[in-house]
Amino acid sequence: MRSLRTRLTVALVGVLAISLSALAVVIDGVVTRTLERQFDARLLDDATAVAGMAEDEAGATEFEYESLPEFERTDLPAYFEAWLDDGTVVARSPSLGTSGLSRVSVNDFGPTFANVSLPDGRRGRTVQWRQHLRTEEQGAATFRPALSKRFVTVVVARGTEELVGTLASVRRWLLFLAGLTLLGASLAAGVAVAHGLSSTRELGLAISQLDPGRLRPVPTPAALPSELVPLVEKVNDLLLRVEASLVRERRFTSDVSHELRTPLAALRMTLDVISSRERTVPELTHALSDLNTVVRQMQALCDNLLALARCDAGQVLVKTAPVNLRALVDDCWYPLAGTAAARSLTFRNELDPMTTADSDPDQLRLVIANLLSNAVAYTDHGGAITVRQRVGRKGSLFEVHDSGPPIPTTQVPHLFDRFFRGDQARTDGIHCGIGLALVRGIAEVLRLEVMAENTPDGGVSFSVSASAS
Amino acid sequence: MRILVVEDYGPLAKSIVQGLREAGYAVDLASDGDEAQAAADSSAYDALVLDLMIPKTDGMTILRRLRTRGSTTAILVVTARDQVPDRIAGLDAGADDYLVKPFALQELLARLRSVIRRKYGGATNLLTVGDLEIDSTARTVRRSGQIISLSAREFALLEYLVRRRGQVVSRAEVWEHVYDFASEPSSNVIDVYVGYLRRKLGDGEAGSPRLIHTHRGLGYSVDAPTAG
Repeated sequence: MRSLRTRLTVALVGVLAISLSALAVVIDGVVTRTLERQFDARLLDDATAVAGMAEDEAGATEFEYESLPEFERTDLPAYFEAWLDDGTVVARSPSLGTSGLSRVSVNDFGPTFANVSLPDGRRGRTVQWRQHLRTEEQGAATFRPALSKRFVTVVVARGTEELVGTLASVRRWLLFLAGLTLLGASLAAGVAVAHGLSSTRELGLAISQLDPGRLRPVPTPAALPSELVPLVEKVNDLLLRVEASLVRERRFTSDVSHELRTPLAALRMTLDVISSRERTVPELTHALSDLNTVVRQMQALCDNLLALARCDAGQVLVKTAPVNLRALVDDCWYPLAGTAAARSLTFRNELDPMTTADSDPDQLRLVIANLLSNAVAYTDHGGAITVRQRVGRKGSLFEVHDSGPPIPTTQVPHLFDRFFRGDQARTDGIHCGIGLALVRGIAEVLRLEVMAENTPDGGVSFSVSASAS
Repeated sequence: MRILVVEDYGPLAKSIVQGLREAGYAVDLASDGDEAQAAADSSAYDALVLDLMIPKTDGMTILRRLRTRGSTTAILVVTARDQVPDRIAGLDAGADDYLVKPFALQELLARLRSVIRRKYGGATNLLTVGDLEIDSTARTVRRSGQIISLSAREFALLEYLVRRRGQVVSRAEVWEHVYDFASEPSSNVIDVYVGYLRRKLGDGEAGSPRLIHTHRGLGYSVDAPTAG
């Protein structure tokens, strides 16, 4: 993991360094060229001045040397040498002594510049210049000096130490300024990024202070960079979803505890009452039967809870086999028949005895048992429950139809929600909003679709069909 | 004492009713909110054992409605919701006490005695009239220190009369507060039981001042004998 601050700073400084280098190279080039041109111009001035000192005096060559201190001193002197086309040296700078200056080529007017090594060993630069000798005669029409037909060639050389020194100084300044700019820029970038990210620490603190048991959206710090705002929003979305899930979990736990407390209270109360005094055998038998009923209901509730937990954990193993639906429905009805008879409910299984479906018989049994149990609990006294093939629906397996009363329309969408109860009370301790939630959970695993609807005859139908997807 | 039990879960309701009847209470059962409301409207109960999560009209609504109408019936709320806010809501709505499922029969009985005692303005379960002592917890009766054995129904009748000492209690009131609806209403039954009570207490016999007084055409009252 690398720091965002470091990455941003390195990138910024890198780009800046490249730009500054390019700029420095350009400036250096321009300055070098300018200074060299100035230097060369001065060399050429010197050369023409020296050449102008040579005069054609009616065939003889005279050199009127005017004192030029640069060419005379011994410390860092300049040099010149002038000669005629025939090679006769006309003049030499006093600084030259016995040494000579290199010549480029004869008969070339020039100016020709070259870098050379000076007689005293210094590095220098020369110009070679050839021009007509001056004459004393004045042209009739002009005031320009008349030109001789003979030529003088001059080589002037100077040490470049001053030029090199100036260029080095310029480069040092460029380097210094570029370095300073880079340093400033990296500091500024570091500070800006640090400032921009300082609100992330605030954000981190706010997140670290969240109470895991009571998640609330994190407040967005005022100075938070806009790039990070979507992140905070996403985190808050997540927190809301996690909180909703926690609330559901807590409600589930509380509901489970509530649902188990009521039958538990019945067990305890029955035991307390029966043991409060001497009882006859019929009294004891009766109490045992009551206890048995409650225990079976609690067991059914626990089984459903366990099956639901397995559904949630994706641990339901589906073993598909041909299932005879009619036989399975009869099997599921058997344990409910007593309760149904007590409520004067009639039951009809109208499924075709030959119809089979490919599904998991154990899981399908849970679906059917819960749908039938639901029908027994919610059908009015004396009503009818029918299991039949549903006509006109492709992929339909069966429907469990009861004679009602109808489910209030507002409750239909929530019927399969966990712990949903239309009425705020159980009817027999096991219809506490687990059964239908389990039916839906298992149906999803079996790729079945369960639908509840009120039928035109005033009844309610739960249909099971092959899932569309 | 007549008690209305409001509980929709059959096995629990059945055992509560049996437990209370065997403890000498006259008990009626309502298995949903509407039944409970109808019963409470038609009869004067000394106490209600009220489950809050019941079908149709929920328990909380019943509770508020009774208190809004000025009912002074002692109400013991019985519920599976054990969270503090649930208890507070229940007590604030007018419940006299709160019992969380599951609970012991003895605790239910103790709390019922406590709420009924408070309803009749008493601070103790020991009632005394003259030389008669009634311990409603131990369900024992002594007269001049002698333990007198009474049946549950006789005890209930005596306890009710003593709780309303100094007042003339009509036969109808005795009927309402002491006897189950299931038994046949007959003022003769009450007179018979009062007769049993008098005999067992030796009431009005030599050395035993009369405590149970008959008010012809009105009913009975229990009071200590006045001096002289």
